[in-house]
Amino acid sequence: MPHECTTCGRTFPDGSKEMLSGCPDCGGNKFQFAPAGRASGGSAQTSQASTATERDGADASASAASNADEESETTGTVGRAAETVRGWVSSSSDSTGNEGTETTDDSRSWPTDARDRAGEAETAQHADGDAATRQRSSGRATTDAAGQSPADSTDQSSVDASGGRSDGDRHSGGETSEFAAWPDTAKRPEDRSTAQTGAGTDADHAASTARSQSTDPVEPDRSPSGTGTETELKTEAGTEPESHPSGTESIMADSEDSAQADARSAVVQSDDLPAEAPADDVAATPNADDDVPPSDRGRVVSEPSGEQPSIEELREELNEQFESIRIVSPGQYELNLMELYNREEYIISLQEDGRYVIDVPDTWRSDEEEP
Amino acid sequence: MGLFTELKDSISRVTDRLFSEQEPKRIGIYGPPNAGKTTLANRIARDWTGDAIGAESHIPHETRRARRKEDVQIERNGKSVTIDIVDTPGVTTKVDYEEFTDEMEHDDAIRRSREATEGVAEAMHWLREDVDGVIYVLDSAEDPITQVNTMLIGIIESRDLPVLIFANKIDLDDSSVKRIEDAFPQHKTIPLSAKEGDNMDEVYDNIAEYFG
Repeated sequence: MPHECTTCGRTFPDGSKEMLSGCPDCGGNKFQFAPAGRASGGSAQTSQASTATERDGADASASAASNADEESETTGTVGRAAETVRGWVSSSSDSTGNEGTETTDDSRSWPTDARDRAGEAETAQHADGDAATRQRSSGRATTDAAGQSPADSTDQSSVDASGGRSDGDRHSGGETSEFAAWPDTAKRPEDRSTAQTGAGTDADHAASTARSQSTDPVEPDRSPSGTGTETELKTEAGTEPESHPSGTESIMADSEDSAQADARSAVVQSDDLPAEAPADDVAATPNADDDVPPSDRGRVVSEPSGEQPSIEELREELNEQFESIRIVSPGQYELNLMELYNREEYIISLQEDGRYVIDVPDTWRSDEEEP
Repeated sequence: MGLFTELKDSISRVTDRLFSEQEPKRIGIYGPPNAGKTTLANRIARDWTGDAIGAESHIPHETRRARRKEDVQIERNGKSVTIDIVDTPGVTTKVDYEEFTDEMEHDDAIRRSREATEGVAEAMHWLREDVDGVIYVLDSAEDPITQVNTMLIGIIESRDLPVLIFANKIDLDDSSVKRIEDAFPQHKTIPLSAKEGDNMDEVYDNIAEYFG
């Protein structure tokens, strides 16, 4: 899944034709090549950052502030996470609309990322956790687009925090807990089954997830800082923590390409998800869930399940038919001349670091969106 | 290649229509990288207009944007033929910056590679949209039977575009015009050396005949 929309962070599998008409989510027509082999940390960060950017849109200010305060402390990871979560929750609770949007974005982007980087995910998370301090201090902003920096920092902090927790979880429990950051997404499927509507519910879930992670006994250092918040959260989480892990796990598993396809099949997934959620505690669960949950989160929240199959078909078709330029790595390209010749659209500029702009015939957005 | 070029293009076409009975045909010079396309284009342009079209280099992918020279008037046997010449980037299925790292810095090589890839896309786009005839330039010292050559010639044939095959670089020791003739017997092959200016008379005769 090496392609990623630079606007909303949505990722596309290699050869995806969806990109040809612009990003289906945000309409952006600028994409970044994110090869699976790349440093997991880097890609993960980027994706997370982008994802975060969207979410944070509303929360950005609050979270940013919290981040700034927290940044100084290494230990503050938990605290930051908690704060971020709080901020998030509060914001979401305050404005349902915001939350809804956020949730959707998260579900889409996160799961996708997770799937893509299934292999990397663990590494990335670790990296995030470790790097959390550095990143904040140094600011990932450097890597990311300058414009995004505020949002990114926020996102990152939240991500980092989660990553840190996840590390703790992993150490203690194993891989299941790795995607601490993702619990929100994970929960949503569940939420849907129970109550999708309630924005408050989602927020709570997210919060609980975050807290549960932070709470984890494994890492005492972090928990203390966040305790106040965490405790409250924990109560909520008490019920849900199980589900979260499952969700996380499932996401993790999805990272694999083959899994994606399976996951897209709609109906079964939803059924599977609720059932799996309770069982989550054990690491074993993730495998079963892997395919299904991500797809649900990714698609269902935002879109009717009916669309999934069509998207899948499209993807397959794309993979077969479209790959006019394959970016092996920056500076190395393989070209399909027939595709280049046959396509109306064509790539007008490949940019540094694997970014490229597609000229979509019906629109001239490319000019506007150029950096 | 922006709106500008296209705008300019369409305007020039309109004026052409106004002032000449026949719109000049746009002849695309195609071929793999380093075949001598730009050298040929410059040779033609200098011979008939006094201007050059683009920079030549022994490093492949020197031409990374299509360049056009309009209203090149070629006079043959008392008859005048006006064509637009489009010099296109070399077409290939693989671009690797490591090909250039001996000649330039790493970053420059990567940039060149990227631009070359864009150039291929542009060349293919031109082939689809904007050419009325093709001069296909091959390095006669190289094996002509490649995926790129076969595919491009196939595309050109499928569009029923008039095509001339130029066996360039006959000044080289390894040059074999026959190898090219054998590879594409269905098309007329003209030997030449664009660099040395060898056999250009036959080249212009054929251009006038094919694209006039």
